[in-house]
Amino acid sequence: MEEKNNWKAWLYLAPVLILMAIFTFFPLINTFVISFMKDYNATTGANSGFTFDNYGVVLGLTERIQGSGVLDTTFVAWGKPSALTNTLLITFVTVPISVVLALFISILLNNIKFMKSFFQTIFFMPYVTNIIAVGMVFAIIFSGSGVFNKIFGLTTSWVSPGSSWGNSMFVLCLYIIWTALPYKILIFSSGLQGIDKQYYQAAKIDGSSKVKTAFKITIPLLSPQILYITITSFIGAFKEYNAVIGLFNRNYTSNGNVPDLYTVVFYIYDKISAGASRMQYAAAAAVILFVIIMLFTIVQMQVSKKKVHY
Amino acid sequence: MEIRLVGLTKEFPGDPKRNIPDTVAVDKLSITIKDGELLGLLGPSGCGKSTTLYMLAGLSEPTGGEIWFDDEDVTHLAPEKRGIGLVFQNYALYPHMTVYKNIAFPLTNLKVEENEKSFACIEYKTIIDILKDPLKVKNIILGSAVEEKGNKFLSFIKSKMSKKGGYIHRNHADDENYEADKDEQNTSVENELIVKKAYAVNDLCEEYKISKYVAEKLFKLNFQSMTEEEVTANTEIIVNEYTDKLEDEIEKIEAKGNDVNDKYEIVRNGIVNKINRRMTKDEIDACVREAARLVQIQDYLDRKPSELSGGQQQRVAIARALVKKPRVLLLDEPLSNLDARLRIQTREEIRRIQQRTKITTVFVTHDQEEAMSICDDIVLMEHGKQKQMNHPQDVYRDPDCLFVAKFLGNPPINVFEGTVQNNAIFIGKDKVFTSKKTLKDGPIYVGIRPEGFLLDKEAPEEEKTLTLNCSEVVTMGRDLSLICSSPYLVGERIKIIIDSDIDAKIGDIKFAVRPTKIYAFDHNTQERIYL
Repeated sequence: MEEKNNWKAWLYLAPVLILMAIFTFFPLINTFVISFMKDYNATTGANSGFTFDNYGVVLGLTERIQGSGVLDTTFVAWGKPSALTNTLLITFVTVPISVVLALFISILLNNIKFMKSFFQTIFFMPYVTNIIAVGMVFAIIFSGSGVFNKIFGLTTSWVSPGSSWGNSMFVLCLYIIWTALPYKILIFSSGLQGIDKQYYQAAKIDGSSKVKTAFKITIPLLSPQILYITITSFIGAFKEYNAVIGLFNRNYTSNGNVPDLYTVVFYIYDKISAGASRMQYAAAAAVILFVIIMLFTIVQMQVSKKKVHY
Repeated sequence: MEIRLVGLTKEFPGDPKRNIPDTVAVDKLSITIKDGELLGLLGPSGCGKSTTLYMLAGLSEPTGGEIWFDDEDVTHLAPEKRGIGLVFQNYALYPHMTVYKNIAFPLTNLKVEENEKSFACIEYKTIIDILKDPLKVKNIILGSAVEEKGNKFLSFIKSKMSKKGGYIHRNHADDENYEADKDEQNTSVENELIVKKAYAVNDLCEEYKISKYVAEKLFKLNFQSMTEEEVTANTEIIVNEYTDKLEDEIEKIEAKGNDVNDKYEIVRNGIVNKINRRMTKDEIDACVREAARLVQIQDYLDRKPSELSGGQQQRVAIARALVKKPRVLLLDEPLSNLDARLRIQTREEIRRIQQRTKITTVFVTHDQEEAMSICDDIVLMEHGKQKQMNHPQDVYRDPDCLFVAKFLGNPPINVFEGTVQNNAIFIGKDKVFTSKKTLKDGPIYVGIRPEGFLLDKEAPEEEKTLTLNCSEVVTMGRDLSLICSSPYLVGERIKIIIDSDIDAKIGDIKFAVRPTKIYAFDHNTQERIYL
């Protein structure tokens, strides 16, 4: 029976498989292959053999044009902002803060009765709002005569061209945290709904305080969702790109300030748009990003084995 | 402690928009539960018995009436201040905590008001007292290691270890074999000691009623690897050491201007000092072990609830409810998740624990057999109202109304449409009972318990007046069950229980009715008519 019907199953799966092969599997493998090609030309597909130099160029170890003595330090550099350090900074600042904040808000939301669904809607609003539009709103709020400066009586330049790296990064992180919250709150809230109310009744009878119940009962029982959110947010933060575009919206080639705010994915797109002869560097950077994300996910899975219950 | 419910009422508001009327779950319930009594709240689902229990626990706010614990009005008191233990229907054990932590959890929140005392002094004194007989300590430690349970586990560990050892052999050159062998021996000896320690510490706790922290200290004295002379010699040194420590501690307290009495309580200006404090780890450990012993789960303390069977989980839930020594124990259908055999075993267990602790207990169930077998008193409820309250057997023997008669007894009572004529009760044309009292003529309900039918040689021929058509004889071992039918029956079929020695045949059978097993009920009010 199974043998006979096998081809039918493949037939039904074929459209998806073909599409995935063309648009997912092939590009994945091709990226990997291109990242090792010497003098690759994206238009003609021509190359002159195997090399590790692409990685060297991306990591700022090898000169792109031999003998020029110029090393590309936009991807990784010591002592000044670069794509990789920015990405790591964004990841390790925004993910912990947004996860903790989302957890806190969801637990509070779960505990109130008055206007609960109203507040849930409010907190979910950013999720259905266009991220670029949100970025533009943030840009206005943080502009020189914007609301933020008005409230705190400042004249600081936050996002306009020429503002310092620290100021821009602060707004960028704030923006990423704000846009990252709603989805996390949604997942945590639904996770909280799934926790049997009797655990709370039992904790009440056992005389546990609200705070203690949150730390000893709610959070451990929510640990599968927390793990899921943490891993996906780490991956998301490593791929951060459109936040930079949405918030700063500058013509990055003519402004010296913007490369300060490069992220890894920004770097990749930059290299792609730089012309057919730079494609292999974009591929190499993509592979590096892939390896980093993989390592972090493995570490998190290992940690979670000890910390996540069930 | 005596519990009094006075006109307790719980109303759930309806929704006029969706045409849902207000629901009265509990309607003016007034019950007094005597101190140390096991009371069963019994009724069909939706009768308000669980709601009553939740109001007692404080998880649900009554809309009317009062709850009194002795002389204290607890109607609006928060659950944690009532001093109650509640066992939930599905136990609600915290799945991420071990059994030990589950039981300890209520204690970590508890604050005790007590005489301030020096725990260090008490610990030193306990150890000195135990060391008056040091050989006993040695014997307990050694005894627990050679016990069968220990050995089984040891040989299991050993077999694992040697397999691993074999693996090492294959991966090493020949000249390394000797080293590998030695390693293997070392590791298994180490494992043996760990196993011994776990059991020994447990046994020391059990024997001396001490916490595991003190027991570990005793184990570390290493009596187990000494000869008797060495033990005696060492004990002297250790006792002296602890006596010194004890004196130092007392001096420290006295240096602060306080005194210590013979119970090591701290006395300030001649008055024992009272403090409000959380329980110490030692005290919690002792309480957890005591509760675990009571429900016999001492061997499972390190497991997670999911690694236990239903019955064991149930006992953990009881231990968690009992560990803080509550004034009242509340059980919400605690046996409904267990299989039949375990249910009988566990309900006896609950009875045993209740009898031992003498704690006032309220037990909610829809299973009449469960309630009847273990409760001192039962309250039958229907639609939020109390129908009858008495000792289980009295309620069975003497039901106040048709509902109570139908609810108690398995198989249930057989109800017929009957009539009264000239003080005699008829089912159809068969006269089944003649009363000496004056009865009103007219239709009534007649209830006859399954064991109330007599046939064959059990009754004289002239008393056999009721004819029923028997369609099936079911053998049940101890007795027989006859399935009969009658045109006057209310319900589907008649079930009759008779002795298995009686020879019953299918077809029309004439029965006599035992006068004590027949009940009459008013046709309108369904109230009992006393015959």
